[in-house]
Amino acid sequence: MWRYVTRKLLLAIPLLFCVVTLIFVLIELSPGDAADKFFSPDTPPEVRQNIVAKYHLDEPALVRYLALLRNLVAFDFGRSIGQERPVVDIVAEALPNTLLLSAVTLLVIYPTGIIVGTIQAIRQNRPVDTAASVVSLALYSMPDFWLAMLLQLLVSFYLRDFIDLPSSGIVDPVRYDFMSAPEQLVDRAKHLVLPGIAMGLASAGGTARYVRSSMLEIIRQDYVRTARAKGLRERTVIVRHALRNALLPVVTLMGLSVPYLFSGAVIVESVFAWPGMGRLIVQAIYTQDTPLVIGCFYVFTLLVVAGNLLADVAYAWIDPRISFD
Amino acid sequence: MQSTFALLVAIGCAGGPASPPGTDAPDAQSATRDTLVIADRNDIGTLLSILPQTATDADLMEAMSLLPIANDFDCSIKKLPGLAKSWEWSEDGTILKMELRDDLTWEDGVKVTADDIAFTYSLVADPTVGSPYINHVEHMTPDGRPKVIDATHVEWHFTHAYDRDTQASHANLMPIPKHIFENADRATLRGHEKANQPLSYGPWRLAKWEPNQRLLIEPNPNFTGPEHYRPRLNRVIYRVIPEYATRLIELESGNIDLMNDIGVADADRLREEHPEIRLVRRGWRSMDFIGWNLTNPLFEDLRVRRALAMATDVQGMIAKLLTSKGGEAYARQAIGTITPALCGVHNDDIKPLAYDVAAAKKLLADAGWTDSDGDGVVDKGGTKFEFTLTTTDGNKRRADASVLFQDQMKQVGVSVNLEKLEANTFFTSLRERRFEAGLAGWSADLVVDPSVVWACDKEGNRNEFNYGPYCNPELDTLVQKGLSTPNLRDSAPIWREVQQKLYDDQPYLFLWWMDEIVGINDRFVNTTIDIITPYKNLHEWEVPEDKVKYAR
Repeated sequence: MWRYVTRKLLLAIPLLFCVVTLIFVLIELSPGDAADKFFSPDTPPEVRQNIVAKYHLDEPALVRYLALLRNLVAFDFGRSIGQERPVVDIVAEALPNTLLLSAVTLLVIYPTGIIVGTIQAIRQNRPVDTAASVVSLALYSMPDFWLAMLLQLLVSFYLRDFIDLPSSGIVDPVRYDFMSAPEQLVDRAKHLVLPGIAMGLASAGGTARYVRSSMLEIIRQDYVRTARAKGLRERTVIVRHALRNALLPVVTLMGLSVPYLFSGAVIVESVFAWPGMGRLIVQAIYTQDTPLVIGCFYVFTLLVVAGNLLADVAYAWIDPRISFD
Repeated sequence: MQSTFALLVAIGCAGGPASPPGTDAPDAQSATRDTLVIADRNDIGTLLSILPQTATDADLMEAMSLLPIANDFDCSIKKLPGLAKSWEWSEDGTILKMELRDDLTWEDGVKVTADDIAFTYSLVADPTVGSPYINHVEHMTPDGRPKVIDATHVEWHFTHAYDRDTQASHANLMPIPKHIFENADRATLRGHEKANQPLSYGPWRLAKWEPNQRLLIEPNPNFTGPEHYRPRLNRVIYRVIPEYATRLIELESGNIDLMNDIGVADADRLREEHPEIRLVRRGWRSMDFIGWNLTNPLFEDLRVRRALAMATDVQGMIAKLLTSKGGEAYARQAIGTITPALCGVHNDDIKPLAYDVAAAKKLLADAGWTDSDGDGVVDKGGTKFEFTLTTTDGNKRRADASVLFQDQMKQVGVSVNLEKLEANTFFTSLRERRFEAGLAGWSADLVVDPSVVWACDKEGNRNEFNYGPYCNPELDTLVQKGLSTPNLRDSAPIWREVQQKLYDDQPYLFLWWMDEIVGINDRFVNTTIDIITPYKNLHEWEVPEDKVKYAR
């Protein structure tokens, strides 16, 4: 297994190179440059030249690209042009927020999807199956941002006298500083609920469809019939024998969901004012802050590689027939 | 895991509705003071006064501290003492002498002196710093720095006298502490460790800044100035909420107290449904226009530009887009780039070209544009009158205005294609003059200087903000004459003439000046929200004791 893991990690290097190159080229092809935000109608030409020179924007693209690669080899992501702070610091502030939101989203998607899909398979063609299918499809069809805004409106506005769930931010901006540690924990948890549901509910519907389909195939297998014939309780048959095999495609989905989590986070983070990587990268792209964009995508790529690697390892753990060779 | 989800929801429900914090007795003074929560779309760029990146940076810095000369506005800028106790001009207008207060200190106890001001200007004058205010020192001697007479007296020497308001604004930058920054690397000043932890000498200080989340300011306990500057709120929290809809929900839920830039339709609804939210109009702060690319043969002929203006029902567009259900208009038709808020300077005698489709068609025909082939689009010499109107993506008002304009142009046989571009791309295309017609806007400049937008390109120096480009040497001469006139009272007739010439030439189709709507929770009193800043005299804002929501 360790050879496999090492091989995968080494393959990440050319992947990172391709991502960095692609991002750099795309930013270069975009009109304007990062120094534009510092210019006003009154800015004299010599100041403009100084600012451009300071950020090396007057150097040829190839020179800047090679300098970028040299720095990345030394894990030097440079300073953000817009914020004039180390990229590492800026990413370090935002990344935990996105990871936290992603973790909660995964908790919404997979447990919900697996439970609903399993029930649907067991109760195939019964009213509960039909109802769950309709709801799953409806949720799956909803755009994230629409669901996000709907939740904000319903829960944080119309039902605010009955349910206290905040509609933006990661902490109570006024009271957090005066809360005790347990209260702060509860406050942070409350702020995770709506964004987690907004990001996860639609995908939970999709996951339920996968699990249902996979379970229907598995519960018709001979070994499941054998398990029943042995007199095992139905719960044991489903959970211990059928579900484990039915989860294999779900594990693949988990690995593939990492990029989705980060891309979906862009919209949900904006709607809920969640200060994560999604918002950060959008701002960096709008301001053509090349060091920050590259730093963010570097981290994204590493997380995607790690997510897929975890999915592969989990796959092998669940199915002993699978070997890393 | 469904149980975990249920637990999370239960946590939310168990919390109950929001209520003021509780049981431990806050100190007597702070219990009678409240917290103001502001929300806006962008984070602060910097709190270094000489390197602002957004208007919000400047607004908040000025709210927290004292400018040398405080600005009030009543048809023009009125000057009040701030950090400067008094000032006077030499007879020839080339020297501004300022006497500073001697009772103000930075938070660390070091006195604020004229040395700080001189140091600040030395940074501004240094091109390596890259301050957008470098033009402020263009006409200052020696080397763009004021002359320090002693700790509380400073003089600015100008190469020549020009408009006093402009000169005063050039000498009005908020100082930064010399003892903190004197050894800083000037090329990376924005990234200095103290750049975003500024020392204050004013009534407020920065308590905490969480990038992309919130900024907290609190009363400066080390403020040594007069008592009447002492803040009457416990804290001010500036929250970053990018989405307009989210900010609106938070305002209506009572989770934020102040929101800028509320849409007209939402203002209507707030007025009806939320009496606890007070709506304030900030004055004619920004305008929209359609700029013609004057190098395009379609727009070279003045008769054509006038015809297009006459074919546009600007009042009708204002009625549809910027007027409330109750008939309250939040915009007025524009005749130039000088804001109507500068009464006396704004030329109220200019009557906008009347909306007259028949007259517009006739003018186009006089210019040779007729529908020779009967396809509904006028043509001339085989060329159809067809162009693309570009605007920024994501601005609903401009998108709607584009559609209305396109429809109105059809009436006179002009075919308009609509294009929306991402903001950076759009403004780059304007500055590089790679557009046909652009629907864009300007913010009001309270210090009159039309040269920014209208000055002709110079040899080796293109005026990138003159998108047309429009060039009228006679107008340039008039503008320079206005800029050299010491006061607005005397220069006003010149500016009125400038506006008339520009309107006659129609380099833009001037659309409207807009009133920005700010919503503020009604429990706040003694508030001043005006055209200069939405946070004016923040130290005076307060909440009556019986309405305090956040007791600490």
